Amino acid sequence: MDQFLSALFAGTSRGAIYALVALGLVLVWRGAGVINFAQMGQAMFSTYVASTLIMNGYSYWVAFFVALVVGIILGAAVDLIVMRPLSGKRSSAMLSSPAMRGTIPVIASLGILGILQAVAGMIWAAEERGFPTPVNTLGLSINGNVMPFTPFDLFVIGIVLITLAITTIFFQRTGMGLAMRASALSPEVAKLSGIRTSSVRTLSWAISGAASSLAGLLVTPSANLSPNTLDLILIIGFTATVIGGLDSLPGGVLGGFILGLVISFVNVYDSPSDVFLAILALLLLVLLVRPQGILGSKEVRRV
Amino acid sequence: MLKVENLVTEYGSVRALDGISFTAQAGKITTVIGANGAGKSTLLRTISGLERAKSGDITWADGTLIGKSTEAIVRSGIAHVPEGHAVISQLTVAENIAMGALFRRRKHKNDVKLAIEEAYELFPRLAERNKQLAGSLSGGERQMLAISRALVSRPKLLLLDEPSLGLAPLIVEQIIQTIDDLCRKSGLTVLLVEQNANTALAVADYGVLLSLGKVVANLPAAELKADASLRAAYLGY
Repeated sequence: MDQFLSALFAGTSRGAIYALVALGLVLVWRGAGVINFAQMGQAMFSTYVASTLIMNGYSYWVAFFVALVVGIILGAAVDLIVMRPLSGKRSSAMLSSPAMRGTIPVIASLGILGILQAVAGMIWAAEERGFPTPVNTLGLSINGNVMPFTPFDLFVIGIVLITLAITTIFFQRTGMGLAMRASALSPEVAKLSGIRTSSVRTLSWAISGAASSLAGLLVTPSANLSPNTLDLILIIGFTATVIGGLDSLPGGVLGGFILGLVISFVNVYDSPSDVFLAILALLLLVLLVRPQGILGSKEVRRV
Repeated sequence: MLKVENLVTEYGSVRALDGISFTAQAGKITTVIGANGAGKSTLLRTISGLERAKSGDITWADGTLIGKSTEAIVRSGIAHVPEGHAVISQLTVAENIAMGALFRRRKHKNDVKLAIEEAYELFPRLAERNKQLAGSLSGGERQMLAISRALVSRPKLLLLDEPSLGLAPLIVEQIIQTIDDLCRKSGLTVLLVEQNANTALAVADYGVLLSLGKVVANLPAAELKADASLRAAYLGY
């Protein structure tokens, strides 16, 4: 029973982090039509900033909020400096074909990832460093009984649930949230309603940057920090969005939790070496049974 | 007053608008009629900035619209209801309407509320369905919704593209009547694009007849309606 509960808690807390990564990916996919492979590179960068602050004596929470702000700035900068100019007019007919229009930003995002990793290596050297947690990562003991979860698990789950609640309220209840949904669903109707769709797009990148920075801060304590530690998290987060439905925010979050639990249970009951096999099997199963993802919409994308 | 001068719009090498000039008088309904492919929709899309003009000028009030973004044009008081009941089907009726007033929600909070109430009074069927997804509405209701979305932005100029397309005659009549009332009561300037020339000319003050991207007639609606040779040559009835 304890083994089960411990797998459940570890999986939920891991899944919460994947849910954040998926949230970031879906936001940019819906808002800008780009799979942002640089996302966890941005998160790595902001986590390094936090780590440097902590090493220089600042408190965890100062570093935490600075990292979120850096995440927001990096996200907006990627859109303003790279993506927006790329979506402008192009001279050659081949470059302006729909397939190319879809591909160019993705390649650009891979380029940004490379630059971020290289720059981080230059600034902070490529050695791994640890990253602290604000609470204990050992099993919580109440009245001498060791619980199957750690305070850090609870911290991660709590922070992610609060983030998801704020995001939901923002999208469902505020005018800006409505503007973002409208711009993602139909840019033309949104423009005709007077919504500044390009600012809305930058905002999607910025929020996505904040979500992935948060994911970086929460995952690094268990992974150590180096310029490419977060690559694997991106791959799992991306798989989560495909399983949950690339164009659905709740779908991405659901996919994140499902993957977290699957990884954790395979780890505990089978063996860590089968984790990737299990992910692949799950991905194949979803793609065969429901190619648009669990909560994705069925709309066919024309290429 | 909307003034269009020598307007040229091209799609690649196809010239959709070939030097169009006309004016739409303030507070009047001007209808743009013509066969399929005459350039009617392109004209509206160029006015609202969805298409870029190759040359020529469009002035509204006292400024040019050329080079402005669609958002800026909409915010300056020009609402465009494009062809095909342009609503967002995954959003609710209430959200679709609210969307049209988003850019005014801070500075004109009370007026936005009032405008939304007025839209529901104008089309009570939308009020009954305000929590439903727009995708679940009938064609006529969607058209009403698209018009409501445009009206809550409190436009001075309304660009309507084929509001009758695919709708039952009774609903067309109701929608056209509503537009007519709005124009007479609140001084709204309307540019109405229609393939259904009879319906349009019946309510319009002026008619502009387009053919292959050129203006072939620009007359008071009654005169255009009475001109049998123009009708036979360009509208085929």
